[in-house]
Amino acid sequence: MGRNLEDLLIFIGKRFLQLLPVLFGIILLMFLVTHVFPLNPCPRWYPKASQQVLANCEAQFSQPVLTQFWTYFTKLLAGNWGASQFGQPVYPVITERFPATLELVLASMFLMIFIGIPLGVIGAQYAGRWADHLVRVLYLSGWSIPTYVGAIVAAVFLAPVVGLPAGHEYSTTSPPFAQVTHMSVVDAILAGNFPYTVDALEHLILPAGVLAFIEMGNATRMTRSAMLEVMPLEYVKSARMKGLSNFIVMYKHALRNALITATTVLGVTAGGLLAGTVVIEEVFSWPGIGAYAFAALGGGGEPNFDGAIAVVIVFALGVVIANLIADILYGVLDPRVDWR
Amino acid sequence: MTTPVLSVENLSVDYEVGAGVFHAVSDISLVIPPGRVVGIVGETGCGKSTLAQAIPRLLPEPPARIRSGKVIFQGTDLVPVPKAKLPMVRGTGIGMIFQEPLNSLNPAFRIYDQIAEAVQMRHWREDGILPSFHPGPAPFDYSRRPITMPSTADVLSRPVMPGTAKDVMAARRVRTRTDLRDEVLDYLRLVRINDPETILSLYPHELSGGMRQRIMIAMALSAKPALLIADEPTSALDVTIQAQVLTLMKELIDEVSASILYISHDLGVVAETADDLGVMYAGRLVEFGPVAEIFQTPRHPYTKSLLRSIPTRYKSDWPMPTIPGSVPNLSQLPAGCRFHPRCSLARPVCTQEPPPALRVIETTVGATTSHHAACHYAEEVPGLP
Repeated sequence: MGRNLEDLLIFIGKRFLQLLPVLFGIILLMFLVTHVFPLNPCPRWYPKASQQVLANCEAQFSQPVLTQFWTYFTKLLAGNWGASQFGQPVYPVITERFPATLELVLASMFLMIFIGIPLGVIGAQYAGRWADHLVRVLYLSGWSIPTYVGAIVAAVFLAPVVGLPAGHEYSTTSPPFAQVTHMSVVDAILAGNFPYTVDALEHLILPAGVLAFIEMGNATRMTRSAMLEVMPLEYVKSARMKGLSNFIVMYKHALRNALITATTVLGVTAGGLLAGTVVIEEVFSWPGIGAYAFAALGGGGEPNFDGAIAVVIVFALGVVIANLIADILYGVLDPRVDWR
Repeated sequence: MTTPVLSVENLSVDYEVGAGVFHAVSDISLVIPPGRVVGIVGETGCGKSTLAQAIPRLLPEPPARIRSGKVIFQGTDLVPVPKAKLPMVRGTGIGMIFQEPLNSLNPAFRIYDQIAEAVQMRHWREDGILPSFHPGPAPFDYSRRPITMPSTADVLSRPVMPGTAKDVMAARRVRTRTDLRDEVLDYLRLVRINDPETILSLYPHELSGGMRQRIMIAMALSAKPALLIADEPTSALDVTIQAQVLTLMKELIDEVSASILYISHDLGVVAETADDLGVMYAGRLVEFGPVAEIFQTPRHPYTKSLLRSIPTRYKSDWPMPTIPGSVPNLSQLPAGCRFHPRCSLARPVCTQEPPPALRVIETTVGATTSHHAACHYAEEVPGLP
């Protein structure tokens, strides 16, 4: 059986090697999408810009596409992620903004795991009865609401009703401590500032909640169907016959096996969560890379292609790493999986 | 006169599904005195497993529904017990061995964790940390077990419910992590597993079917149940493994002097293990009595034909004797006696009036069991070919 640490490390190493062609493909595709035009796009993008900016832009786009890509790619490999059309470098912005997005995604992942999965268990336990229907209505409504509608409804109507802030990381623009990690809650905890921790959590609840609510359907539905598959099996009965309470039987014996299929879905959901941040961060003024991507793609301003590609690279990395984690978890949860 | 461990009175269980109502168990009464092994035989689909699972209320309700009757376990009727309290009965009260060894162990946990969980539950109940049903007057008596390993005998002879507070404290003091491990190892040795230390850290998928069934038996026994229900423990195994597990079951029955309900579709298996035998047909108990008597002088035409159709090496009557017709659909049962369409003794009265259900309650509590059959013409059965 290949189930020791060495096998696991080899498995992870292999997965990282597989990551390289995926990343290259994503960079190439994203570059082509943003750099292949039938007409000269510069005057339309920069109507008010100076002659110098326009000339730079045209000089860039008049080269053959592959030459443009090679220039970009070699610069990227050298660690230069490019700059916006106004010369603002991309890399520092990404490093400063990414932790905020990560915080938002992790918070909604947390909500999905600790609310979405138990909802699935409840749905399976009361399959076909009113509790099951209620759960289905809940996750289907989350699923079918477009992200921007959900976000705006939450920010405009829900926020005043429940008394939660709908925007920014803190109530003040500059908190009185160093932002080491750029994650609002973590920074406040590191600074030992309790009121600001509570404040940061309050600001986090609505965006993370909306994001989780919209993406939760997958986790709930997969958990429910996996539980329905597992529950009639004999080992659930033999767990009952040990005299264990219904809760332990459900959440230890049955869910432990149902999670094996559900984790795979959680990995896939990470992509949805990251994509959701683009709208959520814009609506909730969250200083992450989602809002940056929105701006970089020309949302209410001029486009910033290097920034857009950088965000897509980061998102792609996030999705692939989330799936890698899901795969590893799958291997850890199911003892029948060989790690080799 | 002893109080029975379990007495089932007029139990009827239905399955209510889209296709209709299936009367899986109808009006069954039986009694299991302490230390006695009661076997139940019947064809596939005659309600044996439903009966086995209805006793600890393990059936999913709905679709199953206990229509009427009582399941009196150590003096308490389990039928009206609310669902949330049922775990108190299971494990230390009623233990169960399932048919499918491949599915009855949780694939995600190590063998040690699964057995230790059962032992731990019993410890907690013995120590009064967890509520138990009530102090069982008749848990398995392991005293007949030959003392080969001193520590084992010491562990196994410990009472299920220590009486005084001092006993409780003493019981608590000895319990450490290594004790738990030792006890788990003891139960693995009890089911004749060589090299139990390696088995502990394995997962179920790394073991063979026979091994898994042994572990299942060890798990059920480790809770020291007052009543063990064995639901066809050997049916899903290969013939050779079946023989091994059967031998093990017989040895264990001798060693631990247990109250067991042994369900099987194999007359030979029941003949070797059980003291009393009940024969089920289409959801009803048609005959009940001591095993030897039923085998010698069956008093129900169904039992008679069943026994006739057992192939032996010496009989050369070909074709093999069979029972004409097939088992009735449990949702559309024939009127009168359920066996009459296939019975050679059937008379007009059989098509209209069902024979009275067996009342084994009054007669079996005591040393010997009397022999009964639910047939209008039971006296004529011995005369059948």
